[in-house]
Amino acid sequence: MTIPGPVILIGVPLAVAAVLQILLRRWTLLMALLAALTALFCGLLVSFTPLRDIVPSGTFQIAMEQPLNVLGRVLVIEPVDRLPLTFIFGTAAVLFVIAWRLLPHSNFFPAGLAMVAMLAGALMVKQVVYTALLVEIAAILAVFPLHEPIGAHYGRRAKGGARYIAYVTLALPGLMVTQLLLELFAIFPNDTALLQAATVLLGLSFAILLGAVPFQAWLSTVATDGSPPVVTFLFTVNLGTVWFMLLAYLESYPWLGAQASFKSLFTTVGLLMMIIGGSLAASQRRLGRLVGYATLVDNGAMFVALGTWQISGVALAVMMLLARPLALGLMTMGLDGLRRLGSGDDTIETLEGAAWRAPWRTIAFIVGGIAMAGFPLSLGFAARWGLYRIVSAASVFQAVLALAGCAGVMMGVIGMLRVLLMPLPKSASQRRQKEDWVVLILIVLLIGATVLLGIFPQSVSQIVLEMAEGFTFFTS
Amino acid sequence: MNPFIAWLSQLSSFASTPAAWGIFLTGAGIYLIHEWRVRFLILVTQYFLIGILFARVFDTRPEMALLKILVGWLVCGAFLISAHVRGRTRGQADSRFHWSSNLPFRILSLTVMTVVAYLASQRYPLPFVSADLALACFILIVLAVLFIGTEENDPLVMGVGILNLLAALDIFYSSQDPGLLVTGLLVMVNLLIGLAASYLTVVEVAE
Repeated sequence: MTIPGPVILIGVPLAVAAVLQILLRRWTLLMALLAALTALFCGLLVSFTPLRDIVPSGTFQIAMEQPLNVLGRVLVIEPVDRLPLTFIFGTAAVLFVIAWRLLPHSNFFPAGLAMVAMLAGALMVKQVVYTALLVEIAAILAVFPLHEPIGAHYGRRAKGGARYIAYVTLALPGLMVTQLLLELFAIFPNDTALLQAATVLLGLSFAILLGAVPFQAWLSTVATDGSPPVVTFLFTVNLGTVWFMLLAYLESYPWLGAQASFKSLFTTVGLLMMIIGGSLAASQRRLGRLVGYATLVDNGAMFVALGTWQISGVALAVMMLLARPLALGLMTMGLDGLRRLGSGDDTIETLEGAAWRAPWRTIAFIVGGIAMAGFPLSLGFAARWGLYRIVSAASVFQAVLALAGCAGVMMGVIGMLRVLLMPLPKSASQRRQKEDWVVLILIVLLIGATVLLGIFPQSVSQIVLEMAEGFTFFTS
Repeated sequence: MNPFIAWLSQLSSFASTPAAWGIFLTGAGIYLIHEWRVRFLILVTQYFLIGILFARVFDTRPEMALLKILVGWLVCGAFLISAHVRGRTRGQADSRFHWSSNLPFRILSLTVMTVVAYLASQRYPLPFVSADLALACFILIVLAVLFIGTEENDPLVMGVGILNLLAALDIFYSSQDPGLLVTGLLVMVNLLIGLAASYLTVVEVAE
């Protein structure tokens, strides 16, 4: 019996998620291990198995390239989907390991697997409407672990989750109506007004989903109110999927890429996001919000990179996306420990001198922050440096604006470091936080990986360049 | 055919426009009244009215409209339980009928938005949708904007707003493509949003 690849990539995570949710909630280690192994298996399967080959698996055979037909709708793994699928499964696997010690008995593991299955489905299905609905389902599932009441150190303000669902739902009509307009265009190919309407709707929906200005409010609220590992999952896996969807649509629908205004629109929106995000990050008084605004700046940088309308621009955008899990993973572990000190509060007033009580968490937060700001030594720096070079070739002013946005995040990180390094208030507990050795190892590993990839970014840049060469929309 | 489905189908053939205005009245009730038992009854009515409109959309398969009503009522039940838990946890034993705060502002914004919805339905007719369905879509969108925009601190009302937006989208989209897969996925999304809003309400007060 031959099983199509999409069945494995969606079915296995969903089945394991059901088992974890029903049977294994008591054993965090087992949940984390199974969730990470499942995600890793799917990632490796899609990454290393040649699509045309048939993989023997006992009495079954897995045909990766074989499409899955669901009521006439087709899900298929195409060569261009391999890096996105590997990215979301790989990042999910890493985050499950990180969450092992941060979220005991959490529903993050089953919900995360279900989310990654939905997002993989969104990448493999070829109709916009189903992609939109699967992304919506993944977003709703994220709310459950995002506001899960674990211990006293996570805030229970539900505003972040509610706002996130509201924004993703606001993006849904645009995507669904786009599908209708495309079907109409197939019937009336001379009616270009349909394409113009589809472009506007698609652009608006992606702006909402990616938190582009002026729809950025959900990013900071989610980062402030949500549990840090789940926030990282949202900002890497969910947002990553949306970015890859945008690239896939630009490639699949040549009329979309051919819109003359897109190039300048991407650049303008991206620079706006970087400037506004940088300004807000520089003046932040809460660690969580700093994470949100750093992500806003990173998204802005990706828009600017796409706005260059060059192959290297696409490669840089993907490279920034690949660098994000490392940086945000570090910030997550730092934020988690520092919030524990403040019993869920992450304002600077509460965290004065926290570096003396939780030095490793402080180091993790600061190194992650530096990497998110795109400063050396990190993979983000290599990507941002390339961006400044490409942008400055067209306009030095724009390059300076982009640099200013990143400098804003860096100023925010330095401001936080200054507060964290202040002498401990006399009224505060002087006792040093006992550090979990597993978290410590993870922090050291992530810092090592960040620095190593910062020094030798060639391995990643080679992969993203190869992937970017598959995109031809900017040549039209 | 199930007698309820047959009756719903007959009702939808002449009561679509009143149903659209009924949705507005029920939305206004949820917006202006701050008592969840009353809101629950109003929401149940609203889902019945939405079901009447769906019976027009799915005129060859009215059982789909019944499915939409049942899903809506399930969500209503979840909301009522969450509101009850919230009220009990916050020690709000007094559950007498009372109006929402800032009543004049709410009435004014509701009036303005209703005028906007009516004028929009007249000026921008939705393609391939009859006028009464288009009016219902605009009213649902306007209610969604009001709920999401002004009730951000109440996950339940925000949930109602998100569900209203989805209902508008569902009516419009299903009119063109009444496929089973899309309908099934939208039903799932509705249920999940209902669950998520209830969950957020309970989590927020569980301190």
